[in-house]
Amino acid sequence: MLRIPCPWCGERDETEFRYRGDASRERPAGDAGLTAFTTYVYARENRCGWHLEWWLHVGGCRRLLKVLRHTLSHEIRAVGGPGDSLG
Amino acid sequence: MSAGEALGAASEAPGVELAACAVEIVELAAFRARASELSGISRGLGLELAAPGRAAAGSGQLSVCVRPGRWLLLLPPDSPGAQAALWQRACAGVAAALDHSSGLVALHLAGAELREVLSRGCRLDLDPEVFPPGRAAATLMAQVGVILARLPAGFVLLTPASTARHVREWLTATGRPFGLTAGPDVTVAELSVAAPAVGG
Amino acid sequence: MRGPGRIAPGLLTDATRPVGFRFDGRRMSGVAGDTLASALLANGVRVVGRSFKYHRPRGIVTAGPEEPCALIDVIGPDGREPNRLATTLALHQDLAAESQNRWPSLEYDVGSLSDLFARFLPAGFYYKTFMAPGWAWERVYEPLIRRAAGLGKLEAIVGDHADPAETLHEHADVLVVGAGAAGLAAAHRLGASGLRVLLAEQDVALGGGSLLDGRWDSWRAKVCAALRAFHHVRCLPRTTVLGAYGHGVFGALETLSPEESARFGGLRERLRIVRARRVVLATGALERLIAFPGNDTPGVMLAGAALKFLRHYGVAVGQRPAFFVNSDEAYETLFALLEAGIACAGVIEVREKSLAAERAHALGVEVHAASLVAAVSGRRGVRAVRIADLGGRHRRWLQADCLLISGGYSPVTSLASQLGAALNWREAIAAFAPDLAPAIGQVAGSARGVFGLAAAARDGERAAGAIAAELGRSPSGAGLAAELPPDTEATVMAALWEVPARGKAFVDLQNDVTSADVRLAAREGYEHVEHMKRFTTHGMGTDQGRIGALVGSAVLAQARGVPLAEVGLTKARPFLEPVPFAALAGAEVREHYKPKRRLPLHEWHESAGARFVPTGLWLRPLVYSPQPGWDAVLAEARAVRRSVGITDVSTLGKIDVQGPDAARFLDLIYANTFSTLKVGRARYGIMLREDGMLFDDGTTSRLAAEHFVVTTTTANAAAVLEHMEFHLQAVCPDLDVLLTDVGDQWAQFAVAGPRSREVVAGVCEGVDLSNESFPFMAAGHAVIAGIPGRLFRISFSGELAYEVAVPARSALAAWSALLEAGRPCDITPYGLDALNTLRIEKGHVTSAELNGNTSAGDLGLERLLKPHGDFIGRALSQRPGLAAPDRLQLVGVRPVDRTLPLRNGLQLLDPEGRAASLGYVTSATPSVELGSWVGLALVAGGRRRIGRRLTALSPVHGESTEIEITSSHMLDPENLRVRG
Repeated sequence: MLRIPCPWCGERDETEFRYRGDASRERPAGDAGLTAFTTYVYARENRCGWHLEWWLHVGGCRRLLKVLRHTLSHEIRAVGGPGDSLG
Repeated sequence: MSAGEALGAASEAPGVELAACAVEIVELAAFRARASELSGISRGLGLELAAPGRAAAGSGQLSVCVRPGRWLLLLPPDSPGAQAALWQRACAGVAAALDHSSGLVALHLAGAELREVLSRGCRLDLDPEVFPPGRAAATLMAQVGVILARLPAGFVLLTPASTARHVREWLTATGRPFGLTAGPDVTVAELSVAAPAVGG
Repeated sequence: MRGPGRIAPGLLTDATRPVGFRFDGRRMSGVAGDTLASALLANGVRVVGRSFKYHRPRGIVTAGPEEPCALIDVIGPDGREPNRLATTLALHQDLAAESQNRWPSLEYDVGSLSDLFARFLPAGFYYKTFMAPGWAWERVYEPLIRRAAGLGKLEAIVGDHADPAETLHEHADVLVVGAGAAGLAAAHRLGASGLRVLLAEQDVALGGGSLLDGRWDSWRAKVCAALRAFHHVRCLPRTTVLGAYGHGVFGALETLSPEESARFGGLRERLRIVRARRVVLATGALERLIAFPGNDTPGVMLAGAALKFLRHYGVAVGQRPAFFVNSDEAYETLFALLEAGIACAGVIEVREKSLAAERAHALGVEVHAASLVAAVSGRRGVRAVRIADLGGRHRRWLQADCLLISGGYSPVTSLASQLGAALNWREAIAAFAPDLAPAIGQVAGSARGVFGLAAAARDGERAAGAIAAELGRSPSGAGLAAELPPDTEATVMAALWEVPARGKAFVDLQNDVTSADVRLAAREGYEHVEHMKRFTTHGMGTDQGRIGALVGSAVLAQARGVPLAEVGLTKARPFLEPVPFAALAGAEVREHYKPKRRLPLHEWHESAGARFVPTGLWLRPLVYSPQPGWDAVLAEARAVRRSVGITDVSTLGKIDVQGPDAARFLDLIYANTFSTLKVGRARYGIMLREDGMLFDDGTTSRLAAEHFVVTTTTANAAAVLEHMEFHLQAVCPDLDVLLTDVGDQWAQFAVAGPRSREVVAGVCEGVDLSNESFPFMAAGHAVIAGIPGRLFRISFSGELAYEVAVPARSALAAWSALLEAGRPCDITPYGLDALNTLRIEKGHVTSAELNGNTSAGDLGLERLLKPHGDFIGRALSQRPGLAAPDRLQLVGVRPVDRTLPLRNGLQLLDPEGRAASLGYVTSATPSVELGSWVGLALVAGGRRRIGRRLTALSPVHGESTEIEITSSHMLDPENLRVRG
């Protein structure tokens, strides 16, 4: 089980969060076209290593967190808000 | 023994006591543009806004902050919507004031074995050194969302009205081996006595 | 004293308190503090079961949770519980236990014939023999194998059989696993440095190996007293750590003591979920077996287990034991038995000489040096052992009634390897020892290969000191190392895995895996230890093959001709011990399985005779009648169509949206435009996912320029809020918008029917409800029966209708006022079934149609997609594939024979075409308006097929009905009624 250090609430069990996917993706501009949106919605690397991801703290402060997690060891190296750029 | 534990231990009777708490609940949610004006407005109405993760008391009222930029105000009973309207007028353009007096139910919990009971449904570390009086948090308990604030006289627990009966039944069943008893209703004025004025 | 084997007082037993129990129907007596195993041994019971595959008689081999053989069924008042371990099961008055795998009885077992045919049943036999034909597996082979093999008997567990359990959440600075000398010393030092410590010990008493050595009693008592005095240290005996889950999270299972169980109303287990910053793994070392022919004979037991039975329970496992050992540690059992007055048959020792052998010799025990045990005589119990030299040549037979074996000790590495520790081969102990990252914790004592109690205790202090320093605590000076009884000097052990001799030599007693099976696996190409495990089943089962794990690896290494260090061990995954499902479920079972959400008027609905239906977590009134069937539903629906009805729609999600950018945000979230909505108006909206499919629908009302209230479907209330919060924070963080869940704050009622206006007018004084001043889709603040609330003119039923919202505390007052005002019109409360009937007739969709696979076009809602401007899902909703003419489209269906019923899920087929499904019925109801059943369906190219006939088929029910496709707008397609 992950323990995610929420910047607002402190370290909490994974159970309190909802995973919201890859946070390295940025939503294309509305007129960017079908290909850009297809890539945004579907294309994923399934990387073994450091992964930037969204976690919504629904069981706590309801803030959206950006989490840098290692997909193999589960180590969490950095957590921030949507505006933060993490390592 | 830490200061937090001394505060917590002073009022703890054996067993666990569960009581209803009649309050008006108003949520202040700051708009981004003028958020900085909110604490001044609140102070003008006699209530200090708590720091994040804290509960603060003032003139028989409590403020609890478990979400950045948002405060739950626990206020004495009033006619429906009156408190929300009052705060809405005072905060116009600065913050939304939302009435949750019907949407949330407040319970008061106290007693030496309360932590034992809560640890059966709540994943937070409620050790008095980690979560001393004056601390507040939103979390899950017995599978539903709750807000917990620790005060010198025990915990205030807020839970959505639709799950309030579930939470009460869960507390009653879980507290049985610990001798849980139902106490007389508690007022917000009683709760806010001796609560730390502002959490650090 | 109870039973012939009881020769001394035990540390854990109270000989003054006899306990009666039954084993295979025989009455026996033990004493308080016994396990079932110690009581059976005290009563002279040797054979406790038959083995899994060959049905060989088996006895007790260990004295703990690593036991492979002594699995028994416990017969309770409500049923039979299989696979309990006799070695950990606390004896209690009237315990009834039965042995497993024998028919008709333990003494005469028909299945043991399979032992004679063993050469036809090698490892991998099942995979190979039962390959084909496929059907035979289910009908022939599996039932046969299940009867012949298998462990305990599984009977249907009915009703409340499962004993209650509970889950607890724990937090600590340091979790110390194991309370032997190392664990106790570590916990003490950590406690002294002010850290919060949880000390988990699987046994009923703290002490581990120190309980087996009388010299350690005073040290142990002192440490335990000191631990009790620390208020921030908690000791949890009877608690097994089951697994490590990363991020400092561990699962631990506590088996309650009888007193604790009584206090908690019969509670049996407690699952503790521990979160700790660091861990000390002081899990000790496990004695391992030696593979030799007959090593499964009842009476062959690990030497350390015999010592534990003697010290803990005062039970001698035999009157004339022989020993087969390779280390000095194993001689402790010999010395203890001698001291207790048991005469020993002799020691078969693989080494030429050792300090311990010299001591034994001095005590008059015959030691056969440089020898092996090559065979055991006696099928139901050891009678003699055959001594051979190191080359396997016969030397002599030795009479003995039990054989106590020891192949050395292996550190228990399972938790460490789950935490990513590397396992290093240590030649001196012939075992692997783990190396844990300091950021996770420390391994201490014999779990790290540090043998000897004093050495282990010092190692525990070292580990604690390292952790205290890591966590910024000054190392406390209060060490107890000075007072430790010194460890005995020992000669180094000699690795011994397998005796070269003919006959079945088991490496896994529970799964009946022999060393020959391991070699076969290597020959067949299953060379990796994990492959060998799956081919042979070595290391599976309730004991995970613990006492033979390394032996199996050693045999594999020898077969492959590689060093053992290269073969390694199989990884022990959680759980490290069997866990009853009841313990995993905890208290969240039966009525507490999931929370129930109740409506503000739950009690009113109850008193009005409502039948409730769970929808999500909600309990909603289905119909106000105890009678099954459609009559009551149709009466409710008819009242709405003819006059007026009222229903509780408080379960709808309600999200308050405020802020300067509220309208812009809703324009992005919804496919429609909301910035053009006038204050005081509501609009029906649809929301897409980013992949272009429909997500949710509902009405949004503008209460003020910067204040909207959104309603969602009941099912999607939480998901829509998350969807909005995610996009607000991730996609448009610059917008100043506040989203607040106000679902529980507002009770909401729909008043629907041609006479709804008069009813609502009766409670909203001073509001002009005429079409001119409050038209269809009007919305705004209103005072309802004196209560400040909101009024909306929206309709889900297709009738003239209003929705009234009041704070939930005032729900009863408002509802009662509406009922009172509706009395002249015979206002009828209606439930979810009638609500459905009404919306199906009207062609409105719910989650049955908004099923995640439908697009706006599929449901005929494409006109709502705004032509200009961005919104979530816009780009992918324009995928060419979503415009394909054969997509499943929403249509209405009616049976051609108007008297026939429809049902949800009917498959629709072209009567002239191939028997491929063209779609299915999503919702069906008898109609109050149209004089037949009607339904909604998703049909390939459905809109083109309007007017056509299809066959509706339910293969499950064996039904076939001819239906006709209609428009989904079956009632009032011009929408005149809602504007009436």
